[in-house]
Amino acid sequence: MPAAPAVPPPLPISEHTLANGLRLVVSPDHAVPSVTVNLWYDVGSRHEQPGRSGFAHLFEHVMFQGSTHVARSQHIALVQGCGGTANATTWFDRTNYFETVPVGALELALWLEADRLGGLLDALTQASLDNQREVVKEEKRQRYDNVPYGDVLQRVVELTFPADHPYGHTTIGSMDDLDAASLDDVREFFRAHYLPSNAVLSVVGDVGVERATELVEREFGPLTDRVRPDVPDPAPLPPLTGSPRDEVRAAVPSDAVHLSWRLPALDQDEFDALDVALGVLGDGQSARLHRRLVRTELAEAAGASSLGLIGGNSIGIVSGRARDGVPVERVESTLLAEVARLGAEGPTEEEVDRVVAQFERSWLQSLSRIDSRADQLSRAATLLDDPARVNERITEVRAVTPEQVRDAAARWLSPTSCGTLVHVQEA
Amino acid sequence: MTPRRPRPRASLQPLSHAATAPAVAPPPRWRFPQPTSAARLGNGLDVLWYRLPGQHVLAATLVLDLPLSREPRDLEGLATITARVLDEGTVDHPGEQFAERLEAVGAAMGIHVSLSGQQVMLDVPVTRVAEALPLLAEAVRRPRLEAADVERHVALRLAEIEQLEANSAQTANRWLRRQLWTPDSRASRMNGGEPDTVARITPVEVAAFHAGQLGPTGATLVLAGDLAEDPLDLVADAFAGWQANPAGPELARPEPAPPSVLLVDRPGAVQADVRLAGPGTDRHDPRWPALLVGTTAVGGSFLSRLNRVLREERGWTYGVHLNLTPHRDGGSWAVSGSFRTEVVGAALAEARSLLDLGAEPLTAAETEAAVHQLTGTLPLRAATAEGVVDQVASHLLAGLPADHADQLLADVRQVGPEAATAAYTEVVDPAAPTVVVVGDAGALEPALEQAGFPVTERR
Repeated sequence: MPAAPAVPPPLPISEHTLANGLRLVVSPDHAVPSVTVNLWYDVGSRHEQPGRSGFAHLFEHVMFQGSTHVARSQHIALVQGCGGTANATTWFDRTNYFETVPVGALELALWLEADRLGGLLDALTQASLDNQREVVKEEKRQRYDNVPYGDVLQRVVELTFPADHPYGHTTIGSMDDLDAASLDDVREFFRAHYLPSNAVLSVVGDVGVERATELVEREFGPLTDRVRPDVPDPAPLPPLTGSPRDEVRAAVPSDAVHLSWRLPALDQDEFDALDVALGVLGDGQSARLHRRLVRTELAEAAGASSLGLIGGNSIGIVSGRARDGVPVERVESTLLAEVARLGAEGPTEEEVDRVVAQFERSWLQSLSRIDSRADQLSRAATLLDDPARVNERITEVRAVTPEQVRDAAARWLSPTSCGTLVHVQEA
Repeated sequence: MTPRRPRPRASLQPLSHAATAPAVAPPPRWRFPQPTSAARLGNGLDVLWYRLPGQHVLAATLVLDLPLSREPRDLEGLATITARVLDEGTVDHPGEQFAERLEAVGAAMGIHVSLSGQQVMLDVPVTRVAEALPLLAEAVRRPRLEAADVERHVALRLAEIEQLEANSAQTANRWLRRQLWTPDSRASRMNGGEPDTVARITPVEVAAFHAGQLGPTGATLVLAGDLAEDPLDLVADAFAGWQANPAGPELARPEPAPPSVLLVDRPGAVQADVRLAGPGTDRHDPRWPALLVGTTAVGGSFLSRLNRVLREERGWTYGVHLNLTPHRDGGSWAVSGSFRTEVVGAALAEARSLLDLGAEPLTAAETEAAVHQLTGTLPLRAATAEGVVDQVASHLLAGLPADHADQLLADVRQVGPEAATAAYTEVVDPAAPTVVVVGDAGALEPALEQAGFPVTERR
């Protein structure tokens, strides 16, 4: 077997923790005169209170509504006005905020982030909350409610976890819960989760470690920390039992099936083996599901993916959309047969090599941009407690063996431990 | 008062978080990357190589001179189907062997079909370029184009159109092209073909189209990445034997259709997709830089006039944008957004009034912010291997020089409020727009009438 191709040199990674607990990660890159500021707060939809689904994400919107020294809606305008980009996203495990700017605007980006971490509540008003509540409801309609299959993720998590589990609802939440969110909820959420010690700040780009550290100390150093209230720390759940099933009649163009499994949390070695297993099933034209379902004209599309999470369990999803005239049951049974075969026989060496090679390209692509590189560093620091894990990632994935894939698939991806979601075309 | 002591240099800057935003230093001089080397092979294929330190995934795109004018009218979609079958097996790697080989070397291929030409793209870690580049050449030069693969891709394209028809936003975009341009204009129909013409495509036509149209004449292979060795020898080995093909006709400029208001019914939809558009211009137009600045200020930035009012003040939408779509010759402008059904009439009326700069020309501050936004984001867009080849390809397909970004940057910097307002007002005419609304027609029709947009067509 030929030697594995060389891995690119490790990223320079420097870490520093401020006295208030804020963790700083700096990774200089002088190739382009730009710099990214990326903040991960360790708070996502899994930290939401019952009856307040969607709140972490609504809160993310409120973070752009001004702070002590920043006027309402000005955050993005100030960044764009100096040639940068700014945005934020919310997910099950975290909320991230980021600016990528010409290097001369690094101080502005840090100042904006520090101003809202220090003084969001100074600018909070009922009018700005109400405005962003409406914007978020429009987002929910546009991205989920008015889109075919837009309910897949919500139904998948409801099949996979108990309703009161932290992962039992999605980040967009429900209209009723969004309507119920009050100014007090915003204040309480801010005080509970938006703490220097609950954040990782990554600075990547055309700046040295010393200068970045000096600026971050200046902007964030004066902020005081608070004690974070206890947050849910769910114990890992075993694989699903009882074969839960959800059949929906909807205005969809094709019948579709989504199978979901509970997987181990993303920091477990077995998760990597399962990620490779799902790649063998669903990644690319040579993957098993493409061959067995798409090339044979059973399905328009067939795929498999993992949704890596840190709170006890992750999710695995295998899916297919039936071609016209093909019964969706046939797609479902074929998907299950392929999953079972992988657990019984395992993948070939060549299949694993292909998935690993494909992973390497997409991983290197995610590191090729300073914005996504900063996001990977913040992620590793927040979820794995070590940003330098980014430099180990290719080696870790290369270490996965066909036997590990087989064993993990047999244990976690059993046809008897999945939830089944079927969308059937309305007559 | 104590005597002033000399202040240490560091204290020229605030020592802690200040009450006003820090000053922003002007961006350093930046130029679009120049090719590290360039060559023209004997068969006419141009090659541009950009060595970009730190970019560990090589991006390559083969830009083919293949405007959609080369498709027969009754077989539109032929270029797309042909492109999609290229990686389904080659003479050297038949059937699934090709995908297996490509995936084993960590590479991915993609295609992009636009009105003015086609791209066949390859991404691969720089360590495996020597293995992957010949595969790109194989797929383009010697694909098997098996009947079963062609027929499957025709069926999948028809299924893809059904998916698109079930999607409100994509439905709005599809109808917008149809309403904006006359039926004689290729731009009025989807690049990938409409169902009636796609259904007619057979393996025989795909083979003939490949043999007659895919060739090195007028084509450019653009590569970028951190590769120590110049890849021109590899390129020559893989592509030098490719037979030159005859040049073909360019695509005619699309003809604007008369203004209309089309309402597409999606009973029970919780939101409506709205498009308000008109014919525009292309990047060769001397007004382009000023137009770009003007449209950014009106509808391209977060606090543009449109998004500030319709999102941040009214809360009627997740986001509303004014975009320019330049073709190689001609183009269009369009406002796009989704709004809950009950505010659509008011949103359209407000949008039209915001688009009209008559009473309120662009200010110096708005123009300056737009200029900074446009000039600042250009270096970011060209910061990766993928970004460089994408931009070069986009310029070449538009008939512009590879480093057009430099000229654009210089021109945009010169734009002031008068020029931006003038170019915008000449091109964007909100008085008689083409409007497409996709949503619950029963509720929308009276609202549109009341807002001053009486429906002229229903679907």
